[in-house]
Amino acid sequence: MGDTPVVLAFDTATAATVVGLSVSGELVCELADRPTSQERPRHAEQLLSLCEQALAEAAVGWDEIDRIGVGIGPGTFTGLRIGAATGQGLAQANGIELVAVSTLQALALPARIAEPELQVAAVGDARRGEAFIAAWAPDGKQVVADQACPPQQLVAALAADGAPSIAVGDGALIFRKELESGGIAVPADSSSLHQLAGAALCQLATTSNPANAGALVPHYVREPDAEISLQARKESK
Amino acid sequence: MSGPILAIETSCDDSCAAVLAGDGSILSNVISSQSIHDRYGGVVPEIAARHHLELLTPAIDSALAQADLTLGQIDRVAVTQGPGLIGALLVGVGQAKAIAAARSLPLVAVDHLQGHVAANFISPQPFEPPFICLIASGGHTLLARVEDHSSFVTLGETLDDAAGEAFDKGARMLDLPFPGGPALEALAATGDAEAFDFPTARNVKGCDFSFAGVKTALLYAIRDLGEKEVELRRADLAASYQQAIVEALTDRLSRALEADGGDRVAIGGGVAANGPLREQVEALGVNSHIPARDLCTDNAAMIASAARFLPDCSHQAALALDAYPSGAKR
Ligand SMILES: [Zn+2]
Repeated sequence: MGDTPVVLAFDTATAATVVGLSVSGELVCELADRPTSQERPRHAEQLLSLCEQALAEAAVGWDEIDRIGVGIGPGTFTGLRIGAATGQGLAQANGIELVAVSTLQALALPARIAEPELQVAAVGDARRGEAFIAAWAPDGKQVVADQACPPQQLVAALAADGAPSIAVGDGALIFRKELESGGIAVPADSSSLHQLAGAALCQLATTSNPANAGALVPHYVREPDAEISLQARKESK
Repeated sequence: MSGPILAIETSCDDSCAAVLAGDGSILSNVISSQSIHDRYGGVVPEIAARHHLELLTPAIDSALAQADLTLGQIDRVAVTQGPGLIGALLVGVGQAKAIAAARSLPLVAVDHLQGHVAANFISPQPFEPPFICLIASGGHTLLARVEDHSSFVTLGETLDDAAGEAFDKGARMLDLPFPGGPALEALAATGDAEAFDFPTARNVKGCDFSFAGVKTALLYAIRDLGEKEVELRRADLAASYQQAIVEALTDRLSRALEADGGDRVAIGGGVAANGPLREQVEALGVNSHIPARDLCTDNAAMIASAARFLPDCSHQAALALDAYPSGAKR
């Protein structure tokens, strides 16, 4: 970790704007703007301001950052692009490393640390009545790949071969009934395990491999609607 | 005079970056076009936004390399804030803000239409205000009175489709590929512009435009001729249709000049790359300025040119800058 002393990591894949800053592997500042479910996300307005605030609190300058970590989703398309564009700009400005961080992996990390015996599912709100899901076995292996999933298929997709399992994330709160009916535990609504944390982003950014600055591609999971209808038209011909 | 400006423009489907010297001359003007949209028959906003994310960083690198400058030698960063496709704009705005913040450079937020006006201020042949400016593209059609370098007064706008949209829709009716403007112009070159008498919306008052009538007229002409006859007369249809759009544009330009008492005109926007329009504007017999074709279509040099005459955002405003979509108030 001595190679990457100062790491700025952020995520805009969910409604929240989450920023973390770590120095030599230690979290020094964590800031977040978390809109209520009635409010619109404020990624464009908040992201750089929160980054600068974190730098100021840690008395670190933009030119002292060694690595930028960006949450690449899955999540809302617009949020993902604001994060990726910001990361690309920051990396390009000072010629520093850019790394991609999985939003679902970061979401699952605190629960995996708190409950090391359990299989942990990260369940994000994917809108359109669906969830973005992924899951990790206690041995650290990802056992369910990132995907969009309708509620009626959640339990089948996240089944843990009889092992006990918990689910965290804003999607887990929305689909609590479906998950619990399938034997997947969901922590109380007020649990911090449901929130994406700056610390987890920094931790994953520190251990991930750098991407090419111009090649940070969000993990959209879904095709654009125009592509879906074009394929449908081709198939119906 | 300040130093070089780096500008970014991503309001539609072109990923653009440019560097303008402090005196308004172009050091580089990179336009990365997304040919991908042809297969959908039009620009798909979500796909445009995805491609900007992949094309913009290399475009900025090329713009700096071609200008033979590093970011350390740039004085200000300018970016198109709107109007345009919101997802596309946000990529440019996000990246420009980040570069400006990380390099402690002032950021200038530029209105896309002011950018088209400012294409006329680019050296070595800057056209000085006051003048009447016609901006016509796939997204906008408006007439503006330009009194100074930093603003314009809208004299008229389209009541329905933009001129470029009318070109695209007409092209589609004639089975031409997207983008329709250049394809229709090429087909029209071999046709008779007087063959069909398409309407130019002269009854629309003042300096406003309407292209719904000419579009419907073409639709009816195609229906009445029948498939066989249409196939034989496609070039005539294209030429007459183009003629009607160009006439509508130059007619309003004349009206604006008359009402305003001025004798200086300039044009901008993608439709300003249309050959017959350029010829007919020159034929108006007034002092006209027509930028090079690659400065009429969307580009970042025009955004940098506008920025030369605009104030910097405050530090907090730069960090929080958001894009505004088409149809939103500035
Ligand atoms: Zn334009």
